[in-house]
Amino acid sequence: MSYLAYRALLAHPWKRLWRRGPGRARFLAAYAPEGLVPTRVEDRRIAEAASACVACGLCESCCPLAVAAPAVRALGLPAVFRLYSRTAELAGLARGALDACGSCTRCDAICPTGVPIAAIVAHLSAGRAVERGAGG
Amino acid sequence: MAGPVLETDVLVIGGGMAGAMAALSARASNARVALVRRSPGATAVSSGVLSVGDDPRALPGDFFASRCSPGDAARWVAAADPDHPYARVGEGLGEIEQAIAFAAHELSALIAPPEDRNRWIMTPYGSAIPCALCQRSMAAGDLVEVEGLVAVVGFRGHLGFDARLVAQGIDRLEGLGAPRAEAVELALFMGQGESIAQPFALAQALEAPGAAEAAGELLGKVLPAGAAVALFPPVLGLGPQDGGPWKSVPERIAAAAGIAVAETASDVPSVPGLRLQRAIDARLAASGVELLQGEVAPGPGGPGAPLEVAGRSVVAASWILATGRYLPGGIRRRGVLQETIFDLPVEVGGWPRRTSTPMSTGSLARRPAASLTDRDERALQPLFRAGVRVDAQLRPLDVDGRPVHPRLHACGAVLGGHEPAADGTGMGVAILTGRLAGRAAAGKL
Amino acid sequence: MSMTGAPAAYDVVILGGGVNGAGTARDCAMRGLRVLLLERSDFASGASGANSGMIHGGIRYMLSDRHVTELACRDSGYIQRIAPHLLFRIPFLMPFASAHQEASLVERATWYAMEVYVGTYDLYQPLKRGKPSTRLTAEELYDLEPGLRPGLAGAVTFDEWGIDSHRLCVSNALAAARHGAELRTWTEAVELVREGEKVVGVRFRDRLTGERGEARAPVVFNATGAWSPALARKSGAVVPMRPGKGVHLTLDRRWSNYGVACIAVDGRQMFLMPHENESIIGTTDDDFYGDPDDLEATADEVEYLLEGVESFVPGVRQARITRSWCGLRTTLFTYGMNEDALSREHLIIDHGARGASDHRARGAAGGPGGPDKRGDPSKVAEGLDGLLSIVGGKLASYRAQAEEATDRILAKLGRSAVACRTHLEPLPGGDALPDAAALAEQYGVAAPVAARVIYRHGSLAHEVLRLCQDDPRLGLVICRDEGILAAEVVHCVRHEKVRRLQDLRRRCRLALGSCGGLDCARIAAQLAGRELGWSGEQVRAELSDLLSQGWRERRPILDGHQLANEELLRGVHRGLGGL
Repeated sequence: MSYLAYRALLAHPWKRLWRRGPGRARFLAAYAPEGLVPTRVEDRRIAEAASACVACGLCESCCPLAVAAPAVRALGLPAVFRLYSRTAELAGLARGALDACGSCTRCDAICPTGVPIAAIVAHLSAGRAVERGAGG
Repeated sequence: MAGPVLETDVLVIGGGMAGAMAALSARASNARVALVRRSPGATAVSSGVLSVGDDPRALPGDFFASRCSPGDAARWVAAADPDHPYARVGEGLGEIEQAIAFAAHELSALIAPPEDRNRWIMTPYGSAIPCALCQRSMAAGDLVEVEGLVAVVGFRGHLGFDARLVAQGIDRLEGLGAPRAEAVELALFMGQGESIAQPFALAQALEAPGAAEAAGELLGKVLPAGAAVALFPPVLGLGPQDGGPWKSVPERIAAAAGIAVAETASDVPSVPGLRLQRAIDARLAASGVELLQGEVAPGPGGPGAPLEVAGRSVVAASWILATGRYLPGGIRRRGVLQETIFDLPVEVGGWPRRTSTPMSTGSLARRPAASLTDRDERALQPLFRAGVRVDAQLRPLDVDGRPVHPRLHACGAVLGGHEPAADGTGMGVAILTGRLAGRAAAGKL
Repeated sequence: MSMTGAPAAYDVVILGGGVNGAGTARDCAMRGLRVLLLERSDFASGASGANSGMIHGGIRYMLSDRHVTELACRDSGYIQRIAPHLLFRIPFLMPFASAHQEASLVERATWYAMEVYVGTYDLYQPLKRGKPSTRLTAEELYDLEPGLRPGLAGAVTFDEWGIDSHRLCVSNALAAARHGAELRTWTEAVELVREGEKVVGVRFRDRLTGERGEARAPVVFNATGAWSPALARKSGAVVPMRPGKGVHLTLDRRWSNYGVACIAVDGRQMFLMPHENESIIGTTDDDFYGDPDDLEATADEVEYLLEGVESFVPGVRQARITRSWCGLRTTLFTYGMNEDALSREHLIIDHGARGASDHRARGAAGGPGGPDKRGDPSKVAEGLDGLLSIVGGKLASYRAQAEEATDRILAKLGRSAVACRTHLEPLPGGDALPDAAALAEQYGVAAPVAARVIYRHGSLAHEVLRLCQDDPRLGLVICRDEGILAAEVVHCVRHEKVRRLQDLRRRCRLALGSCGGLDCARIAAQLAGRELGWSGEQVRAELSDLLSQGWRERRPILDGHQLANEELLRGVHRGLGGL
């Protein structure tokens, strides 16, 4: 207990004196390089919409890319808003599949639970574009 | 179509099997019908067969002991379970045979003609399920009819179907009178380090010119002696887009291989399920039903009042609710069970009747979900039998047990008292209640 | 294994395939002992598979015993070294909430104290490559986490490491096997074999085949967790345990990259934190008197957790909960204390000891409550020389606990001391961390899938993906939530002691995603059936069993789209498959 008193009255204020930068900056400097970035309200909204998927597979039946584009074919369209969207890091790795989507929205029309698939793909793709632009 | 206002006699909300049967029945009674749908539901992911019920006296899977007709099976269910829609419709159950015949007739391009007994169709799990109606692509695989060996065919690159598992499943039933079975493999659709492995992609690949024929030729070379039918995974094409005449994939394979061809019923993703939905869509379009694509917002006025949907204003004397259950969202649970369009009282079927004080219809809907389920997943689960309560004319009832509106009807999975996906009566309920609701709505003119 | 008076076949029989049993098996095997490990179900079936999945540094012990914190952080660093692929960083936000409009002086002092406390923890963070803590103003806090409820006054942050505890456990077991240990899962110890006052072995029964056998060893190490009191009681020994039930909920995706520390309705600390590619809400702590094989989350527990998190994260009820899972903490018994206040220290009990010698764990110099209130459990048992039991402990300290246990076992065997190397030698797959994009390129799989394989298997991802090269069909991705390849299922079945389909839940997260097995269960059962020679009947039976496990986890949380998913799942498996 006395040790903590020492820390509270002497060591910690001393440490604070020498600290550089506001808390947020130091926090992001520590964690953002590892991909641990804040989640924006937009991202969360999209994530909630993607959570409506019940793995019925209907979206794949009408996606022209499901057969045509290798990146999509390998995993299937549902992966885009399931595997890829679960974390920002995985979305970053989704090369080809996200960009290939032409927003025909046939998948939206056929989804029984109303997952806005085309919007999700566009959102994830735009996020990647931002990362790429920033040299990520 | 001129003008935004659509005046019609019957408005059906929901375009799955139940809504379609309601619309087509009303058309057959010469009513003007409009049908509004938002997206496919349970029908589009169904197994591809239509089950009405099975003989309760037979052991599960014991198809040769199962003697009664689908209609009788439904009557057994009604006798045993007064909450079940088969029982709720009272004398309407007498129309079950006509309902089955009606559905088969309306969808005759896809559905094989009904028999007076259940057909038994294999599944990818190696189990056999009874059904009153199956697709033409499956009929040759009816275990009761096969004489000879069943050659279960797998595509080498399609890990999703294990021909040996299915063949073993048939063999297990040999003691009950099933045919013998053997598994064979076709090395097709295997490209450079990559094979076509997903059901819809396979179905599309088989539809391509020459593909089915190539499959048939290859099959002819590997067929075991005595094979009477080749049983494929449920990927044999998606059918014509426009409902017109076309030679189906099974027919093309059969012609090239010189043997009858069938596919199994399907789990998810379901090619036969989507095929069924497309056949329904095509039939509705061809039968003079006004089809509207759009979503009905919660809290619409009701029969007789204008309904804004799909850019139109629809006025219909009778309405039929066929919005399905949890999958398409006709019934939803967000902390409390609700019917999503009219907020009709939701009953939780199968609740024990031991209490002398009747539970008010609303209170169970608020209970925690887990309390409406049983620990044993094979036991009856009231939560999965939740839905709207109706009278014998299929009119939804309010908390006092009176019809909410004299010209509002409901049919299909939105009704409580049965578990459409899992109790073997889902399609039967859709067909029967759809037909009854359609005729009732049309009859009210 | 013989029923006659043949020489002992093993040096030690370890009962229990949790992290203590597996970790001790590894250490013993590495130090040259002949080891048999018996696990009645599958590795990590108990607390080792139902914990919060963190190897934290014991920040709560800093007040009472800094030495414990230092050791825990150091050991956390060791685990990083031997299994870097299993770990992922979790930054935590500890928000400051005021009860009034303006924070009172007492509250401000408390917040400063929290800042100092966490700042002191910074001294130990380098031991486990943790980052220094920060203090955030309210504005900064909301910028970093907009989902928090309004009215918070700032926060303090620090980080911990998360881990897949199933994989940690299995890796230890497989490492033990590599060093010569024999592993038997789905095999339960029926009774101890005694000669006079000495324990000389164990009789066991394979629960899947019914085969019975006997193993002779001078030392039996009881690491059966929540099952150990009952097991010990059968032989007249006492393992003093107060099992504490803990419930967690899983969200279908990462809600945030940062953990949020919340306060529940009864003042307990709770959290909503990211865990691999999901988020977890936890946890409860309640005395449990029932059957450890029969754990299920109650509606009350689920509501308690959601209410607690909702008080800091109002939007949590919009998220989709996919599972609820429970475990029992093997807490050391003390009468008269609240569950939260119980010590988390471990104790290795020598059931042959008579008298007053205190076999308390190194470094556990009195937890909260002091030594008097504990009593001395090691005084109780007699006539069971050769039986050692372990109670209590933390996941994070498993390696140190195993080291101590192995030292004791060696001493019991009268062997000279051998240096422990478990902190130096990497676990299988832990020797190198491949790059996901490079691996994806090399083997022609999608990069996110490669990332998942690397997370679970580390450098052994090469072996998994090589299966895709040998047989391109195995490149099929059977689960689009978890990124499970058919090749991974085959690899786990062939090399990771899989005997039942449900084991794959713990090896490669089969059917744990939001689909609940719709995508993957049947195909995995088919693949496993081919490898293990199952009949069609067995394939269906195993599928049915897998679904029962899933039902138990999903039943307490059915709502919204999860309910729709369950409807489809039931239709497919019950309506179609007849399972």
